[in-house]
Amino acid sequence: MKSLTWVLLLAGVLCVPDESQSKPFDYHSVRGREVISGSAGLYEGESLVMKGTSRIQGMRHFGNQWSGDSHLLWLGVIGDAMETEFPIPAKGNYRLVLQMTTAPDYGFFSVVLNNSEIREKVDLYSAQVALSAEVDLGEFHMNEGMQKLAFVLKGANAKAHAKGGKQYLLGLDFVRVTALDTDKKPKTGPLPARPGMSKPLPADFQQVRAVLSENCFECHGEGGTVKADVNLLALSSLAEYAQHPQLAKKLLDVLEMREMPPDEDDELDDADHRLLLNFTNAVITEHLGRDNRLPKVALRRMNRYEYNNAVRDLLQLKGDIYPLPEKVIRSFGKYYDPASGQLPHSVRVGNRALGKNQIEQHLLTGVSPFAIDLQSEHGFNNRGEELGFSPIMMESFLGIARSLLGSPEFNGYTAIDSSFFSAPGGVPRGVWKRIAKDRLTAFLEKAFRAPVKADSLARYLRLFNGMIDAGADFKQAMKEVVCAVLASPRFLYLIERKRDNAVPLDNYELATRLSFFLWSSIPDDELLSLARAGRLSDPDVYGKQVERLLLDPRSKALSENFARQWLRLDRLIAAVPDFDRFEIYYSRIGCEQWKLGLQTMIEPLLLFESIMVEDRSVMLLIDSNYSYRTGDMVTWYKPGVPFKGKANRNRFGTNGLVYTRQPVNNRREGGVITSTATLAMNASPLRTSPITRGAWVADVIFNRPPKPPPDVVPEIEADDAKIEAEGQTLRQRLVEHQVNKSCVSCHKRIDPLGFALENFDAVGRWRDEYRSGLKIDAKGKLFGKARFDDVVGLKDAIINNPEWFFRGFCEHMLSYALGRALEISDKPAVDKILSDALATRGRFSAIIHSVASSYPFLHKAPEKEKE
Amino acid sequence: MICRNRNISRRSVIRGAGATLALPMLEIMGGRSRARSSAAGPVRAAFFYVPNGVVQRSWHPDATGRDYQLSPTLKPLEPVREKVTVLTNLDRVKVAGTDGHAQAGACWLSSAAPDELSPAGYPLKKTIDQIIAAEVGKQTAFRSLELSCNPYEDNRESIYFDNISWYGHGHVARSLRDPKEVFNRLFSVKDHVANKSVLDVVLDDARSLEHELGRGDRDKLSEYLESVRTVEKQIERVAKRQNEIDGLKIAPPVKPWQAMSRSEFIQVMGDLMILALRCDLTRVATVMSSPERWGSPLTVHGLFNKPVDHHGMTHGQGNARVRSELESLDRFHVEQFATLVAKMDKIEEGEGTLLDNMIFTFGSGISDGSLHVYTDLPTVVAGRAGGALDAGRHVKSAQGTPIANLWLSMAQMMGLGLDRIGDSTGSLKLG
Repeated sequence: MKSLTWVLLLAGVLCVPDESQSKPFDYHSVRGREVISGSAGLYEGESLVMKGTSRIQGMRHFGNQWSGDSHLLWLGVIGDAMETEFPIPAKGNYRLVLQMTTAPDYGFFSVVLNNSEIREKVDLYSAQVALSAEVDLGEFHMNEGMQKLAFVLKGANAKAHAKGGKQYLLGLDFVRVTALDTDKKPKTGPLPARPGMSKPLPADFQQVRAVLSENCFECHGEGGTVKADVNLLALSSLAEYAQHPQLAKKLLDVLEMREMPPDEDDELDDADHRLLLNFTNAVITEHLGRDNRLPKVALRRMNRYEYNNAVRDLLQLKGDIYPLPEKVIRSFGKYYDPASGQLPHSVRVGNRALGKNQIEQHLLTGVSPFAIDLQSEHGFNNRGEELGFSPIMMESFLGIARSLLGSPEFNGYTAIDSSFFSAPGGVPRGVWKRIAKDRLTAFLEKAFRAPVKADSLARYLRLFNGMIDAGADFKQAMKEVVCAVLASPRFLYLIERKRDNAVPLDNYELATRLSFFLWSSIPDDELLSLARAGRLSDPDVYGKQVERLLLDPRSKALSENFARQWLRLDRLIAAVPDFDRFEIYYSRIGCEQWKLGLQTMIEPLLLFESIMVEDRSVMLLIDSNYSYRTGDMVTWYKPGVPFKGKANRNRFGTNGLVYTRQPVNNRREGGVITSTATLAMNASPLRTSPITRGAWVADVIFNRPPKPPPDVVPEIEADDAKIEAEGQTLRQRLVEHQVNKSCVSCHKRIDPLGFALENFDAVGRWRDEYRSGLKIDAKGKLFGKARFDDVVGLKDAIINNPEWFFRGFCEHMLSYALGRALEISDKPAVDKILSDALATRGRFSAIIHSVASSYPFLHKAPEKEKE
Repeated sequence: MICRNRNISRRSVIRGAGATLALPMLEIMGGRSRARSSAAGPVRAAFFYVPNGVVQRSWHPDATGRDYQLSPTLKPLEPVREKVTVLTNLDRVKVAGTDGHAQAGACWLSSAAPDELSPAGYPLKKTIDQIIAAEVGKQTAFRSLELSCNPYEDNRESIYFDNISWYGHGHVARSLRDPKEVFNRLFSVKDHVANKSVLDVVLDDARSLEHELGRGDRDKLSEYLESVRTVEKQIERVAKRQNEIDGLKIAPPVKPWQAMSRSEFIQVMGDLMILALRCDLTRVATVMSSPERWGSPLTVHGLFNKPVDHHGMTHGQGNARVRSELESLDRFHVEQFATLVAKMDKIEEGEGTLLDNMIFTFGSGISDGSLHVYTDLPTVVAGRAGGALDAGRHVKSAQGTPIANLWLSMAQMMGLGLDRIGDSTGSLKLG
């Protein structure tokens, strides 16, 4: 067994952080992307802090020239002032430019910055509603922090007519702040050194077997006892282990999670644990080295969200094709601008959970979406195996295409009406077919993400020609062709052509995988032209494209599609805390319809978006010192009884809420685990549900979902008041119910993760003790290794062992990127991504680059003939 | 096979609006069905799924044969008792490795034997409704109809919890949840016909694509090809019946389903199904009254004053109050079924009624929700299968009888020449 040594050399895959660090690393210092001056400080009027009579006004019906299609509208009498604020990230000199709206009933104003007048008069009168010329206010020195900006209504143009006899209005489209020279660069965390890799321990198989014999054989092999189908005794040589990679994977999982041995008293000591872990890693690596099978990504249909984006981008539409409940955040302005390097200090957004009218506006009459594709049990809704096709789907796709192209608004909704759909002016009918051929050649390449074959082109052209011959006009015929394109399998499926062995994706396939990963949509012209030239597979070009896609506003798909599903945030919509006990969760006394708690659904998503845009560490998802909250939510998170003394809470807004970046000083808040949204959605109406919470943390945070529950689950009272009345806590009651070893081994893993959150009640608010006065026991051990006393301790345990969370996050991201479940053979790729994540302290873009450049992402599997 | 106009004397609307709901529908559906004007109509099969099992002690009738007593939960079937068969001791074999609820729903109608596992680990193959539809659907405008009254918008569970009808493993027969969509699908003839030329193009395109794909992907693409072909046939057959359908003069449901009470929602869906069966637009239908598990609270109007979590309640039935609430929910589901059965019995067809030509099954894939067991599944079959089914009895099978035996009997009553389905050991004696 001496040959084992070299195997173990391969096993340096489990990264153990350098534990000699005296102080824990502050992940807030990781700041990859610099704030780009220029666009950094574009504050949409509609996203600014609003006071007094200020409100948002949609401007679409006046034209499409307003940024974000809306502005801030204010109304007052002479002497009144519109007041607002905007943030400056660092002390320095800045140029300030305003984009105002002008109209017949607008007044003239003086502009005041931080209490000093900086412009005497800006006249907003014009005969028609229009955008003003940009108002350059000049250069100013400003300190870090919020800056006060006010517009004092001084009077009005003689031609202006007042509203109601004496009131005049103001419209502010945006404020642009350009950094000239800041006194200090925005904080950029120095990249920490790559943490030390653990050296594999010298070992031979006899040593491994001795540890197994002492700790495992009793239940897994000896005397015919084979629990959970795991017979370790029968595997008497290394070679036999190598022949049973699935068993080795099982062993690895339970070792990583310290799930076995099940009894607390029998736990492996650290040296033995590491020995077994390295051995198991080595077995898996050895197996994969000899038998490297890349799992096949099944031919997959676009899901509902992707189909919307793909059609939108193909036809260059102004917006969505149908209302999409998947978009939890309805953005009024274009607050999400990754190129700026900074998520705005405050954003005004709608929250679809608060009402149907908060779904991103749909402007096309009669277009309705097909039913949502449900998520996989422990994954995303982009897996080919589950994205089936059926007659109803076919009918839906046809119906959507028809209603879209036929809607009365369509011609004004697409940017290619004149260049593609309309007949060129002054050209006789006789040359229409030739023109259509040219146009369709380019169009089909983009739609099908592949070089256009002659027979394919001919097929669609025949449809066009047939329509023309039958007397249709150009546009009718073109729309008929597009209708067919949008229902074609070449459009609807992500196609990877067959190969006999594992090969790199071709350039078009790579462009498609990449754009669906980062944009949930088809490749744009730049990606396509690189693919056509065969240059996308060049690693330098490819890396730049990954970065470009990340900096494009379309990368918001990672929040809307990945983050929402990853966190399973939809669950919050159905949370129904008991109305009598948790009235504070509801907006209106006596009304169960309006849930204040739903405001919190956006909080984790905005945190995620700030990490993306600012290229921060994903560790902030565990522990962040800031968060985006509405004013109501700030009150909600404060201890004590919130909204005290307000007899009627009818006032809670639902029509566009302002979320402002708030410092989070108490570490029991911040991050996604301790956000109200995830805590409330994983509870039952009358009490917390520690098992659900624990299972959620195990699945979402660590990607180690527990096995399905056993058939017979003991009953636990639905109301903790009844348990507490007997002098027991929920924890004591649950422990009492774990009857046998198989229960214990699984619950040992899930329960501590849930009980760590017991200080948050069923609606996610902090409590020091149970209502009955019983003490809360939040103590536990993370993966049998890191002890903690409370939820802050749990966060520390995760931060101090970053590979646990990073691995979970990277696995989720890779699975999402590939559109399939991960398998053992993906382990080397995951290990590589994990080591990149650790080396960059979890920097978001580093993880994305690493996933996009991983072996399984760049390659396709050989097509196996049926076995 | 004509739905005669005079049965619908004035413009009828499927309103789904409280008290006014039932009336116009009954009007449409009352009177004589012209599914087959003189002879007896064709036999049709429908399935009504209830998730999470039922409270055992209130479910089981106390005697067998004709002189049995309806149990408390089955009481709502009293008015139609003579045309209903209660079946007990029918089992499915549970396969370890996948979630008990997911498997219960997804595999309830599966034709797979317990050792035929899909790659995802489910004993899931073409379901019995689709096996029947593949044969009897050759003659109708729509091969089959899949409906769901799933009211949840939180997408909590995977497809296995939300679907009982499958073309094959990994190939779900998606259901429609919105009554308006169902209505449009069944009765908007023109929308269908407009798509013919487009379908020709995409079918060609799909065929040419086949050559570029490996075997696994070709299998996946066959779902697409099959769908296009089905829709093409559908268009032809619907077009043939255009005048008839136009003559029905029915308007779509007005009320959005989100605003309907539970019973309105289930009844409107059921009405649409009955309408389709009655007009012989399809001969096979499935309705999920609710998806499996889905531990999200749900308002059951008129039954509880707070939203309830059906799945959660099944695990609390050791408590007497919870158990009695659960029993009332079980009874609610039986009532919904019984109401639909009664409606079918009001529609004259040949010498009898539509119900006489139905095999309409009520059931769940779990018997006792707190134990997650698949033995002695709650099963009721309404209808007489055109005389092949001797109704009005409680049929207690020998212990351990596979429910596949019932599916086999149904397939035979529907005229399919099968002698085995999954782990079936023979057909049940129901005649």
